[in-house]
Amino acid sequence: MRRTIVGLGISCALTLLTVPVAAQMVTDYEVITAPALVAPKAERAVLTEIAVAGERLIAVGDYGLILTREQNSSDWIQANVPTSVLFTGVSFANAQRGWAVGHHGVIVATSDGGLTWQRQLDGFQFIELQQNYWGNLVEELESAIDASDDEAEIEELEWALENATFQAENADFAAEEGPTKPFLDVLALDANTVLVAGAYGTLLRSDDGGASWNLLDANVENPDGYHFNGLANGSEYLFLAGEAGQIFRSADRGDSWEVLDSPYYGSFFGLHVDQSDRLWVAGLRGNIFMSDDQGETYTQIRLEDTVNINSIVDAANGGVYLVGNAGVVGYVDEQGEVEQRTHSSGAILTDLTINQDGSLTLVGQRGVLSLESFDTASVEQE
Amino acid sequence: MLERALFGIRPLWFVIFAALTLFLGWHASQVRPEASFVKMIPTNHPFIQNYFEHQDDLRSLGNVVRIVVATEEGDIFTPEFLKTLRSVTDEATFIPGVDRSAIKSLWTPNVRWSEVTEEGFVGGPVVPDTWDDNNPEESLEQFRTNTLRSGEVGNLVATNFKSAIVYVPLIETNPETGEPLDYQEFSEQLETQIRDKYSSDTISIHMTGFAKIIGDLIEGAQQVGLFFLLAIIITLVMLFWYSRCWRSSIAVLACSIIAVIWQLGIIKLIGSGINPYSMLVPFLVFAIGVSHGVQIINAISNNTVDGHDKLKAAQLAFRGLYIAGLTALISDAIGFTTLMVIDIAVIQELAIAASIGVAVVVLTNLGLLPIIMSYVGISPRGQTYTASVRNEAHPMLAFFGRFSQPKYAYTALILAVVGLSWGAYYGQQMKIGDLDAGAPELRPDSRYNLDNQFVVDNYSSSTDIFVVMAETAPSQCIAYDNLELMDRFSWHMENTPGVQDVKSIVYVAKMGGFGLNEGNLKWFSLNRNQYVLNANTSRTPPGLINPDCSMAPIIIYLNDHKAETLKTVVASVNEFNQNYQQEGLELLMAAGNSGIEAATNSVIEDAQYEMLLWVYGVVVVLCLITFRSIRTVACIVLPLALTTVMSQGLMAVLGIGVKVATLPVIALGVGIGVDYGIYIYTKMKEGLEQGMNLNDCYRYALENTGKAVGFTGLTLAIGVATWIFSPIKFQADMGILLTFMFLWNMLGALILIPALARLFSKLGKPMH
Repeated sequence: MRRTIVGLGISCALTLLTVPVAAQMVTDYEVITAPALVAPKAERAVLTEIAVAGERLIAVGDYGLILTREQNSSDWIQANVPTSVLFTGVSFANAQRGWAVGHHGVIVATSDGGLTWQRQLDGFQFIELQQNYWGNLVEELESAIDASDDEAEIEELEWALENATFQAENADFAAEEGPTKPFLDVLALDANTVLVAGAYGTLLRSDDGGASWNLLDANVENPDGYHFNGLANGSEYLFLAGEAGQIFRSADRGDSWEVLDSPYYGSFFGLHVDQSDRLWVAGLRGNIFMSDDQGETYTQIRLEDTVNINSIVDAANGGVYLVGNAGVVGYVDEQGEVEQRTHSSGAILTDLTINQDGSLTLVGQRGVLSLESFDTASVEQE
Repeated sequence: MLERALFGIRPLWFVIFAALTLFLGWHASQVRPEASFVKMIPTNHPFIQNYFEHQDDLRSLGNVVRIVVATEEGDIFTPEFLKTLRSVTDEATFIPGVDRSAIKSLWTPNVRWSEVTEEGFVGGPVVPDTWDDNNPEESLEQFRTNTLRSGEVGNLVATNFKSAIVYVPLIETNPETGEPLDYQEFSEQLETQIRDKYSSDTISIHMTGFAKIIGDLIEGAQQVGLFFLLAIIITLVMLFWYSRCWRSSIAVLACSIIAVIWQLGIIKLIGSGINPYSMLVPFLVFAIGVSHGVQIINAISNNTVDGHDKLKAAQLAFRGLYIAGLTALISDAIGFTTLMVIDIAVIQELAIAASIGVAVVVLTNLGLLPIIMSYVGISPRGQTYTASVRNEAHPMLAFFGRFSQPKYAYTALILAVVGLSWGAYYGQQMKIGDLDAGAPELRPDSRYNLDNQFVVDNYSSSTDIFVVMAETAPSQCIAYDNLELMDRFSWHMENTPGVQDVKSIVYVAKMGGFGLNEGNLKWFSLNRNQYVLNANTSRTPPGLINPDCSMAPIIIYLNDHKAETLKTVVASVNEFNQNYQQEGLELLMAAGNSGIEAATNSVIEDAQYEMLLWVYGVVVVLCLITFRSIRTVACIVLPLALTTVMSQGLMAVLGIGVKVATLPVIALGVGIGVDYGIYIYTKMKEGLEQGMNLNDCYRYALENTGKAVGFTGLTLAIGVATWIFSPIKFQADMGILLTFMFLWNMLGALILIPALARLFSKLGKPMH
């Protein structure tokens, strides 16, 4: 009997040991500032994007998860991240410097290739940014209207003023409600210049590596405040695409944007400039378009299934891979030949990367998944 | 005086007993086995209190039967299969107790596919509009496409497309009659109208759900009636073998059965029922009745051989035995009452039923039996047999008689120490709670558990569910702050070892964000704008929030329901609650089968040692009062302790956990086991007082009670051993353990009491 009682004592002691001692009680939980939980199941959480920095893969997703994996390894390591929001985009300027953006107006940056991250902007600061931006714009427009005597110009300015006033009021309202606009994509042009696209026509840029951020919303013609879902960088232009078939391009790193004729009126989620400088846009219900003239004209490409296509990535041999909802993975070779596979999980897939052996690492609803290569060119070569 | 009252007016007593038996028998016949969920759980545990507070809100979550229709060839998209699935759906819809509006299968209009288009959502029922029974081939492809985009793969359709589920929610109270759902009848209807009707070479039916467990449990419990019959037959054979007299054998049997009838009748009268646990009691009462009855007829036949007439022989037997019998029975009853310290109704009912049963045995087998025997007497054949064996040295006597001699005594003691070490070593691996997968009440290879395994293997759902109730102010259950912390909690729990998945309103809200933003996963998040959150949660399935939005269950799916898993989960919830507190939100444990099991385990873990303390305390005190010697108490109690420790080892080795069913067994084993020791030591004491040496004392004790002790041990063991074959796992566990304890206690008493007495007499010598 005594032995069993001793056993009980030991098991009690062990139970006590597993309770962490130094934890500080949180009484005002805030997802923006809460450090990401160390999560053994991180690889199974919702992940949204994956980027390559040097020899390292970096995937981002829900619960402030940023996972890194060396190309030659199979182990994912959770990075130290000072927020718990859902990340929606990640982009690296070089092997060290990168940014990730997400919900609640959060931007984080790394300068060690994704191992540790610092918060550069949060939603509360973002609201202040908006208040100042729209407030200043209202003042500028008002004085411009006062200064102008051209009827047509005044009409245009007044129209802009109306929009700016509306946005300024929105920002004031948001100051009470808290951050509600998520960022949806990020694009690092170099170690100092980063662009961030977001909901309701949000466009941000930093020219000093994230130390300060400037809003560019008013530089894009988006009167209905549609979401901006994707950014891509080509040889001549930056591209921006979003809700309701919008496509824009900029020749001056985002200062001014030109509206392009869209081949489609539904939303685009994926935007990509491939290795041959061709522009790809893809979105709702399997709508995929390719342009080899910088977005002037488009050719439609069809997969078997008409599900949302979320991302397009360069494959070897000049082709591209596409991933979408319901586990759909597509391959389009340089000549436009299409092949479709469906991942057995049927999970929503949001991004992918190609490993050195040609196999695919997919991310999405079920976290990290993998699929063997099926771009016929590289298979035949082997 | 008692004797005069009994034998003075024999015919009157006879009439009284007969009348009582008729009256109580009528009530006993009304007793139906029941399996009340509430009675099997520790109702005062805080988890259970929390659960009761939200029971109504949680109901729609749980009480569901899943009928799996599986095909053996090809996949489900064949006309034959789909037609069968439709028939099963229709059939299930009309079984009373089914919530017809909520039943779901690929054929019901509430199972839809949906898709985001440029204009918003489009969708429709999975069954294609074009479906035509005469030409089903046309629509098969559309059926398949709709199924794939319905999101039901893994839920209503197996991931291998070889089976589909009819999801059948139940209404617990008939809205027309107000009567509670009869689980047994419901379960039977499922068997006859679905399983029997639609199973074929190509179609197999699997069914799971609480209603099915209860149905199978009650069905299994009814088989126990057969075991009782078996126990009666075996006992009759043994009685006859023992006495060679049909009259007395049948009299003992009849009195013991009358005791059982009375016990059942009284239980019915006091408003208590019989559950699969307290079903053990009639077996015990019967066995205790027989063992005391044997002593009576043993005495009567000795008296008859000595030349007394029927009446006188019975009177003398009563006179000689009633004090010893009463003492033993009272100690049994006290042993049983210690079970009342366990705050679980089925165990307390078992304790009450057993105590009543023992009290009844006093009346029937110490009172009625001598009266009956005074009329019928011992048959001439029985008398001849008794006379012939009386003067013979029984081989058992020679065997057990040795253990008071030093050589055998020390060998026995060394073996006992080995046994003790074995028990203590393995006993440390003894686990709390249920260890097998599926419904632990039933055997791992029972049809239910095989069906359950089928569902677990082919669908993405675990059946071990731990529910944490997120309690808020009314209409605040989907407030942003609350949802955000619940999301953190969900992720914290999902990363707890043993947790498979976590689902709650938070998941619905995040999926809503995804769905209402054109199926873009980048919106799989909570939003601070309450209107957005309201819209995102507008399609919440029933059960995930309560009607006034003050409680949202967080459903944690576990790998298994092993005690360690549950402990880890409970500790993890506590850890979160210690680290995060938010005004207006409380995360309360626990509901779901695993939540309730966690509460039960914790009560049992605490009660385990408390109960042992009580049982042994009572036994030690009783023995001290009777014998007034610490050495004697040690002689009697140490063999019992050996049995207890060894049975713990046995439990570990056989994979039987300490649980509601097995906890009482230890108390029963010790409570009844002490009788042997008391009988033997009483006789040894008599011998000592007559100045005999230890060897002679023991021989004297064996001659007088050895045979009865052996017979008692055997009858008790036979009474419970039939349970080993019960289809109900815990009854089988109880059977195994009680059989072991009854036999081992008997052997322990016959072997170790003299051996210990020998040891103590050696140790004691220098003191004189």
